[in-house]
Amino acid sequence: MEGASYARMPRVKIRELKDDYMKFELRDTDASVANALRRVMISEVPTVAIDLVEIEVNSSVLNDEFIAHRLGLIPLTSERAMAMRFSRDCDACDGDGQCEYCSVEFHLRVKCITDQTLDVSSKDLISSDHTVTPVDVPGGDASIESDGRGIIIVKLRRGQELRLRAIARKGIGKDHAKWSPAATVTFMYEPDIHINEDLMESLTLEEKKEWVDSSPTRVFDIDPVTQQVMVVDPEAYSYDDEVIKKAEAMGKPGLIEITAKQDSFIFTVESTGAVKASQLLLNSIEILKQKLDAVRLSEDTVEADDQFGELGAHMRGG
Amino acid sequence: MPDKETREPINNLTKQSNSLDNLNFDALKVLFKPHIESFDHLIEAGMETIFKSIKLVVVHPTTFQKLIITLEAPKILSPQKDGIAKTTRKTLYPFECRQAKLTYSGRFTADVCFKYDDSEAILRENFNFGQFPIMLQSKRCNLRDFPPRKLVSYKEEASEMGGYFIVNGLERCIRPIILPKRNYPMSTVRSSFSERREGYTDKAVVIRCVRADQTSLTVKLYHLRNGSARLGFWIHGREYMLPVGILLKALIDTTDREIYANLTSCYSEKYEKGKGVVGTQLVGERAKIILDEVCEVSKKFTRLECLEYIGEHFQPIMHELRNESHYTVADDVLKNYIFVHLENNFDKFNLLIFMLQKLFSLVDQTSVPDNPDSLQNQEVLLPGHLITIYLKAKLEEWLAKGKTLLLDEIKRGGKIGKIGEKFDFRKFHHVKKVLEKNHASGVGKAIESMLTTGRLATSIPLDLPQTSGLTLQAERLNFLRFLSHFRHVHRGALFAGLRTTTVRKLLPESWGFLCPVHTPDGGPCGLLNHMTHTCRITSFYDSQGKVKNYYKIKLSILNILIEIGMTQSLPKIFLPGPPEVLTVLLDGCIVGYIPSTEVEKVVAHIRELKVSSAAVIPDDLEVGYVPLSMGGAYPGLYLFTSPSRFIRPVRNLSIPSNGNENIELIGPFEQVFMEIRCPDGGDGGRKSSFPATHEEIHPTGMLSVVANLTPWSDHNQSPRNMYQCQMAKQTMAFSSQTIQHRADQKLYHLQTPQTPIVRTSAYTEYNIDEFPTGTNAIVAVLAYTGYDMEDAMILNKSSVERGMFHGQIYQTETIDLTELGSQAERSSTIFRKSNLDKGCHSIDSDGLPHVGQMIGPDEPYCSIYNEVTNKTRLIRKKGTEPAYIDCVAVDLKKHRRKANIRFRHPRNPIIGDKFSSRHGQKGVCSQLWPDIDMPFSGNTGMRPDLIINPHAFPSRMTIAMLLESVAAKGGSLHGKFKDATPFRSSVEPGSKSASLVDELGDMLKEKGFNYHGCEVLYSGVYGTELTCEIFIGPVYYQRLRHMVSDKYQVRSTGTVDQITRQPIKGRKRGGGIRFGEMERDSLLAHGAAYLLHDRLHTCSDYHIADVCSICGSMLSTTFIEPQKRPVRDIPGIPVRRAPRKVTCHACQTSKGMETVAMPYIFRYLAAELAAMNIKMTLKLSNGANVSDTGV
Repeated sequence: MEGASYARMPRVKIRELKDDYMKFELRDTDASVANALRRVMISEVPTVAIDLVEIEVNSSVLNDEFIAHRLGLIPLTSERAMAMRFSRDCDACDGDGQCEYCSVEFHLRVKCITDQTLDVSSKDLISSDHTVTPVDVPGGDASIESDGRGIIIVKLRRGQELRLRAIARKGIGKDHAKWSPAATVTFMYEPDIHINEDLMESLTLEEKKEWVDSSPTRVFDIDPVTQQVMVVDPEAYSYDDEVIKKAEAMGKPGLIEITAKQDSFIFTVESTGAVKASQLLLNSIEILKQKLDAVRLSEDTVEADDQFGELGAHMRGG
Repeated sequence: MPDKETREPINNLTKQSNSLDNLNFDALKVLFKPHIESFDHLIEAGMETIFKSIKLVVVHPTTFQKLIITLEAPKILSPQKDGIAKTTRKTLYPFECRQAKLTYSGRFTADVCFKYDDSEAILRENFNFGQFPIMLQSKRCNLRDFPPRKLVSYKEEASEMGGYFIVNGLERCIRPIILPKRNYPMSTVRSSFSERREGYTDKAVVIRCVRADQTSLTVKLYHLRNGSARLGFWIHGREYMLPVGILLKALIDTTDREIYANLTSCYSEKYEKGKGVVGTQLVGERAKIILDEVCEVSKKFTRLECLEYIGEHFQPIMHELRNESHYTVADDVLKNYIFVHLENNFDKFNLLIFMLQKLFSLVDQTSVPDNPDSLQNQEVLLPGHLITIYLKAKLEEWLAKGKTLLLDEIKRGGKIGKIGEKFDFRKFHHVKKVLEKNHASGVGKAIESMLTTGRLATSIPLDLPQTSGLTLQAERLNFLRFLSHFRHVHRGALFAGLRTTTVRKLLPESWGFLCPVHTPDGGPCGLLNHMTHTCRITSFYDSQGKVKNYYKIKLSILNILIEIGMTQSLPKIFLPGPPEVLTVLLDGCIVGYIPSTEVEKVVAHIRELKVSSAAVIPDDLEVGYVPLSMGGAYPGLYLFTSPSRFIRPVRNLSIPSNGNENIELIGPFEQVFMEIRCPDGGDGGRKSSFPATHEEIHPTGMLSVVANLTPWSDHNQSPRNMYQCQMAKQTMAFSSQTIQHRADQKLYHLQTPQTPIVRTSAYTEYNIDEFPTGTNAIVAVLAYTGYDMEDAMILNKSSVERGMFHGQIYQTETIDLTELGSQAERSSTIFRKSNLDKGCHSIDSDGLPHVGQMIGPDEPYCSIYNEVTNKTRLIRKKGTEPAYIDCVAVDLKKHRRKANIRFRHPRNPIIGDKFSSRHGQKGVCSQLWPDIDMPFSGNTGMRPDLIINPHAFPSRMTIAMLLESVAAKGGSLHGKFKDATPFRSSVEPGSKSASLVDELGDMLKEKGFNYHGCEVLYSGVYGTELTCEIFIGPVYYQRLRHMVSDKYQVRSTGTVDQITRQPIKGRKRGGGIRFGEMERDSLLAHGAAYLLHDRLHTCSDYHIADVCSICGSMLSTTFIEPQKRPVRDIPGIPVRRAPRKVTCHACQTSKGMETVAMPYIFRYLAAELAAMNIKMTLKLSNGANVSDTGV
């Protein structure tokens, strides 16, 4: 085994990329890496979110905690978050979390003076830092209509007022869901579909149709010309085994064989808008690297190499 | 699920909903009608009926002059605020009462009329009978007929249904209880009857006679072993038995022959033992016995002689008529104590004959006894009627007291008024003065205190099954609980203590009237029932909202009956009884006889008229036709028009209709003998011999409102639906939309409720969306991490952090300076902060806390300053957790006397909180599991909000929960609500050819999901596929009010009991949990001796006692205070304490003193024994030597 390297070189191929949505393939690696990536994206990529609210006036119908909670859940643009400090580690402000390195201040001053209900939204939050602002629903996706009114915090009627100061801080999703930059991160194993053509040919067209329809998702279809069953969209397959069960029920076991490729994954990432989807992936890899750095062995463990072999060298950064 | 199609419909749904003016609360208001209508009647007409029946006659003891006092012109005003001038008085609204802890009541006045027997003139005087509590939404309520928007502007719920009272700021409602059906003679077998007196059997016919003013008197006709009968009736709380023969003769002028013929009319030799024969040969014998008895007992023959006999015997107890003739007394007895629902002696005679026949039939076993536990023979005591009865009693008491005052005054001959005139009975203003001393406002007070305590405090017995526990607080824990308070009927507190379970049984007679599902388990099981949502209660109002004229109704019914073949009952005419003819009773009055061959036609005709022309025959008339049978119920045609009967709508099949024109209202008495089929297309097993005449409107009509909200309850095991009814009522939900304007002591509130995706038709009908009770949580059914064992459930931490199941408890403290401290202090106290105390930040200068301020445990939140003594008193927060000040409300008077301070306790889900689905599946949160460790779906990336264990299903068989999950998943994919009304498949046959599962499964399949609702999930920890597919989908979950934060109990050290020196109990006082006998046993079984010693001795009442080994006593030892020697303390050297010296009092020495460790309770025992003159002696020995303790 001398010289053989266990190190694999995973490949990433981006299929689709929008500001808040990304679909990519991850190949030549295993589930542990894929899952680690997913977990880091959800819970360890830092963002900025409102963490402290000082309420001056609140005569709205919602109570203080409710409003504070709602403010916290508003995603803030957090491109800067990687460079910011956690307020607990901040030297500049001795950890009171109110300096420019670790926090952003917001103000909200709204009063309803008309008879019409006033919607207080994230647009009314005035940031002290132009890089950290409430996320606007991006206009890129035409299907989701952006009314440009932001996220509603509370509605006020005549005479009601809301005045507050809020401090946004850096944090991670593990501590509180409000810091999670990912709406959804998921991956699936790429399926490997083999149709037993001989057996398939033994089916009548009716039976073929019936079999194709047994899958709730459109994985297979019948070629209108050749009347052969073909795989249209392998990734639509959700590993529900419906077609396999159907084949067995039709008395044709082994009609189809579907295996999950253990080393390739199709990732779907949806971002809250706090960080761009692409940046989210890059950040997560960065953080994963940092975390691995933390478990690197020190240089003086060379003598233990017979025990760990190449792994030891690898962990030392070799 | 980035599916574009799904988004639009959801948006549409939110847009169309809930503009205040579009909401229709009519269905909801119907549910509260029995309460409101009964109270309306009291105000509108009931009061006058009472007044008519009240009369007081005061007789001057020497001149025998009579003064007749009556009451007239009752008037109840709408609630008004206290004001000096009448013109400046402002209307009082319920929200003000709730916040200021006032009573929502209006002035009650009436004219007291005085008339001397020798003059025609009637003198009137208006008396103020105090403040009369007003039911909300009744005709005197200031909110009556307000549209929703206006209600909201008066700080009420848009749907405010009323039906309750506000007494001192508390919302209280009257508990409707079950009473025996009025004016219906019931055959009863009870062993206690035979113990009445010698010679009585256990059989009797009992009738509860109700007067027009709702007061009632129960009369029992006992059967004697010798074949005779006695009529038992109550006067002044004592039962008197009268031989039936005397009564028969006293009632009307009659002969022995007539009585004999009347009694034996039910027997004819023609019919041997055929169908419907109730009489036997023995009836003649018995009639003879009865008639002979009259001669033997009293030697009386004529009516006058019988009256004389009765009068003579009852004169001593009729205080009012002491000086009257025997005839008058007898007349009074017959009129006021026997069959009080009938006016006419002839009717009374007929009824007595009928009851005798029924009694003899019961004895001869030709008919069965009526079941008093069956709804067939029951009605309900409505709030308005209860108040009517109580009010009458209170007015009578007031008059009686007035009489004694007058008589006292006459006797005393004291001076009246300022001029000092001598009291003159003849002078009206003198009498008035005396009566004014008798506080009339006490009457209003009495009603109010009845509402607060639920107790009837009267000197006269009221013929009610219970005199306490009649009211209860209408809790607004959540809307369903609140609603249930007005839909329940209680069997009576008397039965709660009963050991037998027969009263609790669910009987088929209650079908359609009482919900079989909605009854609590445990103590009140089967006693506390809920009306079905279609069940109504008859009232004094007809469908047009007019007060019924019973006299007109009776005439109209009689006319119809005579028209179609009824022979009217006339004096001196007796017709053969069953089976030839059937007796017709209308509200307990025998009105005629119908040939049994005609009767079915007659019944059908009346039913038709009932539906088609309500003007002739009231639509809620109960046509209780008991057909002829072989030893069944006693046959007859019993018609009831009375109020407070249960009724429900069914379809009358004989009337053609395609809409709702054939809906007939039926009662539980008639229902038993009717053929009602279920609209499922089947014949219900009745085959062709008993064709159905009626049809249910919808099968869900048999369920209560709450039970109707369980989706697909027909797919659940029945006990689970019962549990759900219980849990729905203890859900922490969106309890009220007017929390800002309320001052409830404790109010639970769910912060972010949702509307269920899967819902029943009742949900929409009753607008439950105004008060939703839960959240659609994504539920995965799998065994994950083991934290979901044994009904525990795992919540997704991130979901909770995003606001799922967040909630608060609002708690209000009312500080009323007029009630605080001693009398002297009250006037001089004000809300103010002390000038000296600068440290207290939580209190503002006005002595009240800042809104939004956090108040920790034991922190002061209110400061009261006494201007005289210059002292401030701080009121501190109780409890162990911090709370926020939500609202501070003060009164608007010049000097603030009252303040409501509302606290807000955050109650976000934590481990140990209780949740439940709508299918009786409750569980406790065992972990808040990180989002990333939750299993996730490869396709959608969905992580569950909640994980429950699959073992929750097999034994409980809550299939509907699985259906709900699939349906909600399909519904959310399609952007539609899913209707889950139970029994739908049986009502709409053919509409859905496939099963429900197919319908739901196809919805999923259409959107590319697994037909069965399963999904492939990946382990959140490893990223690998879970070995089996997981059932996952949204289920509506409720958060229950039982939360650890309110329940946890820990203690290491703390307060101990004064006497025993053992730790105290009680969470509030910081006590511990009892380590009891059984717990001790389990430690003993483990042999954990040291632990046991530690728990029960060292950590409890460890005590070192000094025992005198000479006399063996531990009580006679005393400390001797060492004499203080003038020793100067040398600085730096610790002061040496002189050893405590103990001596024995008895032995006068300290030689034998030993110290012994023992539980303090042992010493206490010794002291207790000593108090009983028993000496306890301890024999002390060392170590291993066996030490025996002797006494």
